[in-house]
Amino acid sequence: MRAERCRARGRALAALRRWFEAHGYLEIQTPVLVPSPAMEEHLSPIEAGGAFLRTSPEFALKRVIAAGLGRVYEIGPCFRDREIGPWHRREFTMCEWYRTGAELGDLMDEVEALVDEVARALGVRPPSWRRATVREIFSEATGLDPAIASADELSGIDESFDDAFLRRWVSDVEPAMRGALFVSDWPASQAALAQVRQAPGWPVACRFEAYLHGVELANAFLELLDPVEQRRRFASANAARLAAGEPPHPVDEALIEAVGRMPRTSGIALGFDRLVAALCGWDSIAP
Amino acid sequence: MYQTSDIRNGLKVEIDGQPYIVTYFQFVKPGKGQAFTRTKLKNLLSGNVLDRTFKTGETLQPADITEGTHQYLYSDGEAFHFMNMETFDQLELTPESVGDARNFLVEEMEVSLMFYKDRPVSVDLPNFVELEITYCEPGVKGNTAQGATKSATLSTGHTVNVPLFIEQGEWVKVDTRTGDYVERVRR
Repeated sequence: MRAERCRARGRALAALRRWFEAHGYLEIQTPVLVPSPAMEEHLSPIEAGGAFLRTSPEFALKRVIAAGLGRVYEIGPCFRDREIGPWHRREFTMCEWYRTGAELGDLMDEVEALVDEVARALGVRPPSWRRATVREIFSEATGLDPAIASADELSGIDESFDDAFLRRWVSDVEPAMRGALFVSDWPASQAALAQVRQAPGWPVACRFEAYLHGVELANAFLELLDPVEQRRRFASANAARLAAGEPPHPVDEALIEAVGRMPRTSGIALGFDRLVAALCGWDSIAP
Repeated sequence: MYQTSDIRNGLKVEIDGQPYIVTYFQFVKPGKGQAFTRTKLKNLLSGNVLDRTFKTGETLQPADITEGTHQYLYSDGEAFHFMNMETFDQLELTPESVGDARNFLVEEMEVSLMFYKDRPVSVDLPNFVELEITYCEPGVKGNTAQGATKSATLSTGHTVNVPLFIEQGEWVKVDTRTGDYVERVRR
């Protein structure tokens, strides 16, 4: 534990809470121990006492939204097994918020304002943001258009489109990123819990990621509101997990029911440790 | 076979029939996808650096690399001669294989040689070596100001920056990884 890092994190936490309070958000505490940890194929939960440590507070916060609250946030610990590196720890702090009636552009505005508040609290210069699409960013770095290119053209390896796309993304696209960046319109196959729409050239997920100096800070969704489609995506992620020799995630029926009752909502999960580390210019999220 | 979780600095792997050493690695996992390990690999024969990204679940082939302690004997201008400290066999390395290690190699120094398929490919120096200063401008008495340095030539012909108080004929400790002066040593 380094005093400098503890101090910065404490100041950033206070700044976040100030910003949410000033913008009409209610702080929620949802359970850390949950019956269903995630829906995505590539998340490894940690089991604890016949339940799981949450990989994010997403499911519980959506139930809060379905119960009628319009602006909610939670800051708390989340757990993802097998993720260890300078920018990954098995236990990390997530800052997640949901706002009914908001579009993805509104959430980008909020990220800008909130990062501004945190940067000022830390005494560092607030970044200025660029907004771009996956197609733009990908083709700037690789010369390839992911809406047209095949998996083979992307990586030259016999693998799925998503794996080839992400291999190039982490090898060539992320390392080329500078400054603060919103990247929207992801391949529809990487939608997770976001709505999908037809964009010019290909179907895309209504989803954006925020990056600071090449570090992925946050992921936002225009939330899926269709319980039938939600159940189908659960099943499809679980089928992929079974095929890869991983245990399927238990299906969260309460979430599926809540998805059907939610109004139009956008939500975002921001890695608190990464935000502070990237703003302060640290080389890792270690405490 | 190595798994991606075995990847660490110094791991030696074979890719497309060439031996590589891992010089950098980072676990990366995009928010909605498979985990990867981003690496920089240095070709042990050519010295070229390769960027390669491995998907979790992919395997890597170990390179047929062995290492052994050798004594540096001499250079005849064309090759560098070493002796195996266990078998006393002598062998020679090309200047390309010795690389930057020549800047700090002095006769009788013990070093580790790396072999790929029984062929010597590189010299691994101790982290710190002690070398004589064969030329530098005269020392400035009492000047111990932080940061003030001058250029000095080592007995290997290589130059390093040393503090102003160092005299010609004195011995210094040098960090072979960075090429930086560490301290003056009494001999």
